[in-house]
Amino acid sequence: MNSKTLTYILKRLVLAIFTVWVVITVTFFVMHAVPGGPFVGEKATTPAVQAAMEAKYGLDKPVGTQYMTYLKDIVTKFDFGPSLKQRGRMVTDIIGDGMKTSAKLGIMAAVAAAVVGIVLGAVAALRRNKFIDRIIMVITTAFVSMPAFIMGSLLLTLFAIKLGWLPANASAKAGVSGLILPVITLALYPAAYITRLTRSSMLDVLGQDYIRTARAKGVSGGKIIFGHALKNSLIPVLTYFGPMLAYIVTGSLVVEKIFAVPGIGRAFVNSITGRDYPLIMGTTIILATLIVVMNLLTDILYKVVDPRITLE
Amino acid sequence: MKKRIAAILLVLAMVLALAACGSKPQEEAAGSAEPAAASGSSISVCLASEPDTIDPALNSAVDGATLLAHLFSGLAKWSQDADGKLVIVPDAAEELVEGVVNDDGTVTYTYTLRDGLVWSDGQPVTAGDFAFAWQRAASPELAADYGYMFEVVDGYADMWETDADENFVNPDAQLNVKAVDDKTLEVTTASAIPYWNELLAFPTYFPVREDVVADDAWATDPSTYVCNGLYTLAGWDHNSLITLQKNPDHPDAAEVTMDTIECYLSDDANNMLTNFKNGDWDFIDDVPTNEIAALKTDYPDNFQVVGQIGTYYVCWNINEDILPAGSTLTGNEAEAAKAEIRNAISLLFDRNYIVEEIAQGGQVPASSFVAMGMTEPDGSEFYKNANNGEGGYFKVDADSLEANFNSAVETLKKYYTFDEASQKFTDFPTLTYLYNTSDAHKAIGEYLQSALAAVGITMNMENQEWATFLNTRKAGDYSIARNGWVADYNDPICFLDMWTSGSGNNDVQFGKGDHAAVTGYSLDLTPFGLDTKVEDGTWAETYDVLISAIKSCTDPETRFAMMHVAEDMLMETGCICPIYYYTDLYMIGDNVDGFFSNPLGYKYFMYCTKG
Repeated sequence: MNSKTLTYILKRLVLAIFTVWVVITVTFFVMHAVPGGPFVGEKATTPAVQAAMEAKYGLDKPVGTQYMTYLKDIVTKFDFGPSLKQRGRMVTDIIGDGMKTSAKLGIMAAVAAAVVGIVLGAVAALRRNKFIDRIIMVITTAFVSMPAFIMGSLLLTLFAIKLGWLPANASAKAGVSGLILPVITLALYPAAYITRLTRSSMLDVLGQDYIRTARAKGVSGGKIIFGHALKNSLIPVLTYFGPMLAYIVTGSLVVEKIFAVPGIGRAFVNSITGRDYPLIMGTTIILATLIVVMNLLTDILYKVVDPRITLE
Repeated sequence: MKKRIAAILLVLAMVLALAACGSKPQEEAAGSAEPAAASGSSISVCLASEPDTIDPALNSAVDGATLLAHLFSGLAKWSQDADGKLVIVPDAAEELVEGVVNDDGTVTYTYTLRDGLVWSDGQPVTAGDFAFAWQRAASPELAADYGYMFEVVDGYADMWETDADENFVNPDAQLNVKAVDDKTLEVTTASAIPYWNELLAFPTYFPVREDVVADDAWATDPSTYVCNGLYTLAGWDHNSLITLQKNPDHPDAAEVTMDTIECYLSDDANNMLTNFKNGDWDFIDDVPTNEIAALKTDYPDNFQVVGQIGTYYVCWNINEDILPAGSTLTGNEAEAAKAEIRNAISLLFDRNYIVEEIAQGGQVPASSFVAMGMTEPDGSEFYKNANNGEGGYFKVDADSLEANFNSAVETLKKYYTFDEASQKFTDFPTLTYLYNTSDAHKAIGEYLQSALAAVGITMNMENQEWATFLNTRKAGDYSIARNGWVADYNDPICFLDMWTSGSGNNDVQFGKGDHAAVTGYSLDLTPFGLDTKVEDGTWAETYDVLISAIKSCTDPETRFAMMHVAEDMLMETGCICPIYYYTDLYMIGDNVDGFFSNPLGYKYFMYCTKG
């Protein structure tokens, strides 16, 4: 790795931190500007209770002061504060619990989408315009255009109710079997997208001069595909990894609801409806950081896959 | 060749997928505090999503209360007698004693704790634990949502007295409750409270131990959760599953037939239904509204509708000017006219249609605000005696629909221009209906909109997300809003004291803003042996006074009579337009016996058996 690359990575890191800081700041002030508060319920508490609660959590101070305290606690102590709704629990615990499941779900879906997508895309490209290619293209078109909540509901009806093969909830008790349907639901769209991406990219690469040269020199088919074609046709696919992660993170909000998955998405949504300020901040920061970091990693991966790319 | 590539890649995919989840089962086994619970009976239920808290003092949710009723033994509990009737019986107390009335009107109760009560960590339960728990739950430091459940106890008012700057005046004040010795608890209430025994069965009154709750996070993890009830908290996978395990050390353990209660956490009614349909869950406490019609026919034995003490209603902002532009009415006359108009509009709605075609959950059309299910001292139902025994403030049966409509139109004609050709009013100001985002509320709102449109009244719809909606409604920034109220205990006062001018739940804005100066109300309490007689008084001078009189009244019959007067006053204003009395919907498996629920919506699984 040369110094240019290092400078680039450093620059990107600084930019990443800046991005997260902007997200924190905007979220913090917008969140406090939205009407309603964490201690407002259907059954009203007295003004004295409200005041006591606000004093307890420092919400009685000016928003600017709260913001500075919040930033200081995060930077110096990595302290995200207590949840205002789930009393007695710390934001880091809630996020930790949710992330365990969400990460498992997300990684499985990403891996499944990548593997299935690349394989099907390659097969379709190699069998261009044959029956199998047509089938793959029809199916992927369907999956790309079908929203997760419809796919999830269909899978639930078929496998959980009609056939009864898989559970309809992803609780710890259901174990791995409970994650199968959510993973499939979450992976279908990116898998279909990657298939189409791989196919067109592979077709492009297969038409290149160096492939023809390799063929002419008598290199075996397998070596051409794995040694030259596949690797080079994965670059466009890599660019999709950032957006795919964003899709999986946001898509999991829907999937978590349909399949009762104890992930971070639920904490995120509930924190907003309940005005649980520290939890809103915590989940937003984590999700923003995740997306920023994954985008950075994707860019660095380009360099690894294709040394011709210079990062600057 | 290509087949081989595909095969290799597929194997790779499987390996990766397994690697991503392979460590799971071992991890769960090690992380769970649950003992080997494989043997014995077990029921899988789903009440709601993750409870905000299962600290008895902090809980204010119905699903949390259900869990707490299994985990704790308060002085009293809800029980089902041999005839299936719900009764309040002693639990941790030997008996539910009668109070002794003191000279100053306060009432002292002295309870003796049963023998053999222990905490789940083996320590004995003492009267001091109760005294501590109550002081804590009522304290401004804890600031619990349901702290006000102790307002009937002597000393509470002093604890919460604040000066003009919302500072507490008596920081050292305490509830008048003390442990005479380890077995004897003495508590004094400010006056005789007809529903006192029911309060003792309320989760906020459950005991906790000082050393346990010293840890703020005690109620979030099984390892620190110490309780004294029929069950212990055996496991809690946050957002996923709460496991309750029968407590063999409880004195009543022999009566408990269900060894394990697995309480799944889901916030999606469709998901609950799927898990019920495929047999994974034996009980679900919510069903999707749009499935109700199908469930009634497909699952007649499983789909259950039971009464719940609550009313779905529409409230008006009393300060909203609804008189036609150019109206010359002012002051009390204008106020009386507005009340008459609002009451007339209430007659335009077909509540049977709402219940049968929209809500579909067996709800009962409502013609009074205090919900069905509240009982009078003589055992009769409060709502049937409403409006001087009329059984409601208007008729809700289908046959009266036309008469209601005609009478409403006649009344409105007094104030608005009616175009005979189109049969519509032409100068009714445009209204806006505020509701919180939900398909069910929207559908009802749209019906109300169409019913008003039929007579030429335009009502726009505005929806807001829940927390914003609560804020807007409380602040009175609306003209008409969707509303609902569910009782905390079986006494009509919890439907009535929310409308005093100082109450935080006074969404109508009675006695607030312009209405504070309106002097159109009268109150005569002389028939009840009191001196109060007010004519042309403000809301604060009449309704607020009436509510305090009810709260300090010790004679049950007089008290209930005065509560009817209070409801008459409320309904007279027309600001509360009742739609239906709530019901509680749930689905229960064919093979489950011994289940019961109470009118507050708590579910009891301890005496269940599965066939």
